[in-house]
Order: sequence, then C-alpha cells, then structure tokens
Amino acid sequence: MRKFYEFLEEDTRAAAVARVTLSAGSVLLVWQILSFFVKDRLLLVPPADVVVAMVHEAQQGTMWDNAVATVTAVGTSFLVSVLLGIAIGLTLASSRALSLTAGPLLSALNSVPIIALAPLFIAWLGLGFASKFVLVLLVAVFPVVVTTEVGLRATDKQLVEAANSFNATSWQVFTTVTFPFALPFIVSGVRVAWARALVGIVVAEFFGSFAGFGFAIMSASQTFDTARVLGYVLLLGAMGLFGGLLFETLERRLAPWRQE
Amino acid sequence: MSGVARLKIEGVSKTFMRKNKPSVEALRDINLSIAEGEFVAIVGASGSGKSTLLRIIDGLLAPSKGNVQVDGTRIDRPGRDRAMVFQQDALLPWKTVIENVAYGLSLAKVEKAKALNTAQRFVDMAGLRGFEHHYPHQLSGGMRQRVNVARALAVDPKILLLDEPFAALDAQTREIMQTELLGIWQETRKTVVLITHQIDEAVFLSDRVIVFSARPGCVRQEVPIALPRPRALDLKRQPEFVGLVDQIWKMIEAEVRASLVQSA
Repeated sequence: MRKFYEFLEEDTRAAAVARVTLSAGSVLLVWQILSFFVKDRLLLVPPADVVVAMVHEAQQGTMWDNAVATVTAVGTSFLVSVLLGIAIGLTLASSRALSLTAGPLLSALNSVPIIALAPLFIAWLGLGFASKFVLVLLVAVFPVVVTTEVGLRATDKQLVEAANSFNATSWQVFTTVTFPFALPFIVSGVRVAWARALVGIVVAEFFGSFAGFGFAIMSASQTFDTARVLGYVLLLGAMGLFGGLLFETLERRLAPWRQE
Repeated sequence: MSGVARLKIEGVSKTFMRKNKPSVEALRDINLSIAEGEFVAIVGASGSGKSTLLRIIDGLLAPSKGNVQVDGTRIDRPGRDRAMVFQQDALLPWKTVIENVAYGLSLAKVEKAKALNTAQRFVDMAGLRGFEHHYPHQLSGGMRQRVNVARALAVDPKILLLDEPFAALDAQTREIMQTELLGIWQETRKTVVLITHQIDEAVFLSDRVIVFSARPGCVRQEVPIALPRPRALDLKRQPEFVGLVDQIWKMIEAEVRASLVQSA
C-alpha cells in the first residue's frame, strides 16, 4: 500500500497514467453506485447506458459531425487567442504607461461574465462559426495576456545585466533572456485559456448553432435524453483533461529548474 | 610600468539621481592605473561603491564624471575586451553548461560549431568536463561559479572583472575556488579586477589591494602584496599574510562598524 502511494507521487508517465485511471475509475464507481439508488432515469443513468448511447451516436455519424463542428471552431479560436494574447501581452510589457492605462480596462473586461453576452453576440454575428469564434476568443485571450505580461516583467534582472555585459543588443536580450524566461508563464496562461475556451464553445453552441457538442447537449436535454447529455459532457471533459495534461507537461519541460 | 596602462580610471565620480529623494554620491574622483597581467583587488565596507565602479569599468553604467580607458582608448559601453563574472545565478537556467559558456560568443555572432569548440576548452580549464550537458540547477554553487568564470573567459577578454564571485559559497568551497582562480590566472595571464569583502581573499589572490572608503566611495589606500607566487593555501597561515590582512582590516574596521548601524 505504502509502495503504491509512493509510486503515485512519482514523476513518470506510468504514474501519471495510473493517477488519471484511478481518479476516473473512482468517479465511475461512485456514479455506478449512485445509479443503483436513483432509479429515475431522467435524473441519472448508469455509465453503461451512456456508453450505449454514445456508441449509437458514433454509428449514426452525428457524433463525428458534432466533433468536427466543435473542434474546428474551438481549435482555430483557441489558436488565435493564444497568438493574440501573446501579442497584446508583449505590447503591454513594452510600455509601462500603456500597461497602466489599459490594465484596469482589461481586468474589468476579464471579470465581466462575457459568457452572459452570448445571445448578444449571436444577434450581432448570426448563428454559426463567427459568433462561436468571437465568444471563445473573448474568454480565452485574457489569461494569455496576463501571464505573458507578468512573465516578461518577472525576468531576472541579473540575467539581463549579464547579457548586457556581453554587449547584447536589445533584440538579443529579448530572444535569449526575456522571452525564454516568460515562456513557462505563458504556457500556464495557455492552459487556463484552453479550459475557458471549452466553456466558451459549449455556451456559444447552446445558443447559436446547429452542430457541435454544445448543440448536442442542448437538444438531448430538451428531449430528456440524459444518457446523451452525460456522454457529450464526458467527451468535453476528456478534451479538457488531455489539453490540461499536455500544457502541464510542456510547462515542466520548458522550466525544469522551477521544480527543485 | 611602461607605456599605456591596460586599464586606466581617470577621475571617475558617480552620483545616482533619485526621484523625490536626495541623490546619492557613490564614487568620488577615483584614479587607478592597472598594468597588463596585473591582479588587483578592491576591498571596502558595504556601500563603498566598489560594485558601482566595476559596472562602470564594464560599461554597464556611465560615470557622472571622468572616464575609463582600455589600452588608452576610452570606453562607453560593454565590449569584448572586458568580461564580468557575476556573484551568482547569472546563468541562463534553460541552457546547459556548455551553452552557457558559449553564450557570450553566440551573442557576438560567432559561428555555433566554433563557439562550442571554444567553450569546450574553457569547460575543461574550469574543471567542468563531464558536466557539459547538465543544467545550472543540477550543479552545486561552486560548480555554477566555475561556469560563470568559464563563460567570461570564453570571449577571450583582456580584462576579467569579478564581482564578489565567491561570496555565496561556503568557506571550504571558496578556498578551493580561490586556488583554482589563481591557476587559471597563471595560465591565461589576464588582467584581473576583483571586488570582494573578504580581506584574506583579496590578499591571497592579488598583486595589489585597493582599500575603499565609504560614502562616498573613494580610494583610501593602496597596499602592494609582495607575497611570492605561485601561492598555495598554506600561505594563509604565514605571519606576513596574517600581518597584511590585519593591516587592511584596521583601515576599514571603523567603517564596517559604522555601516552596521546604518540602514542600507
């Protein structure tokens, strides 16, 4: 038992897989037990029913259509959010005055529940890709902006001085010191942005689309098809989990010195 | 001393202007002449501006008055004729030992293979062989300082500037590093300016100790160190050595005591 406990704390791929399996397994177990007691299938269905429903979705091809719609929208929008977030972060970090001027506005925007504006965006941009794209962009861009600026400002002054002492140009200071130093910060922002982007896409699809996981969840819950609702929610959860693990690994790879 | 000095510091003063606070006079009228191949140590109480002087010599700071010359040419920015060894943790944490040593060369746009080749020579000289592909966080403090020294030497400077290079190390490691530095100096014959608050380190390593006075920093006295070379650690127990350390300590003792009760 003690050995297993120590194994779970290890920093290896096997241990990581074991951790994910263990936590997912416990959820399934609790879920299975609960569905013994909750007999109303409108409220809760057992895991096996969800699997059956999803296999059916896959066979019909609707799952694939939904996946294409969601993944293309969230993928492009997320990518643009990251690039735009880094660009804005760089701009803010380059000028103290700009950062002080735009900072309060940005943090105000960041704390506004932009999700709640989804119906408005759909009214402006119509049903489909454009409204999804903008909504995801608006929720996902802020974490990247903030961590980029923080990372760039956090740069170790000693490292900059050492570069200057070797007569580095300001472009060289940026590429060899400031940016590599900020990179792990930026990736941690990207990780948060991914989680937010998934929430954004689902909400956008609730209101404004005819395909996608969000649309599927909405239409299934309107027909009280609980198995399908839970199935798509699980798919989204898996996307979140794998994205999160990926960025976490990247963060550790980029900054191994921060572990010790 | 014949001809032009390798390093000449002429009437250098530095005053830091601060917003909404009185300005601070860090250095007043420093004049020094250092010959090629000479090892000079500067000691002084904290706040004596010795670190500021080193940054002016390196070109990282501009003097308020006066100038610095290398081989008779005035300098106004960092250059490859001078290289600085910083106190600690001035290594890039995402680069390996060999990449860190080659850093100055790569900034000077030396071709990569050639830079790594040169870096390897100084990795060997600094006793880092076998650690080329380690990252700084995997090394002890002493090893990291070896990388710092190797990085500075790799650009082949005329003048090596050392800013309390061993201050963060434990006493035993520091002594080993001092003898290693002497070995490297004997081999490369660089002109060295060392800033330290360790009087015994200054006496052990240098040909001449410059004693600084604090607030504002100025040269209080120069003490020639005529101890024979090569020097080994047991020199530190010889009466001449102890006598020199004592003599210098007496010069700065009062100021060190004063700086203790002053806020920084």
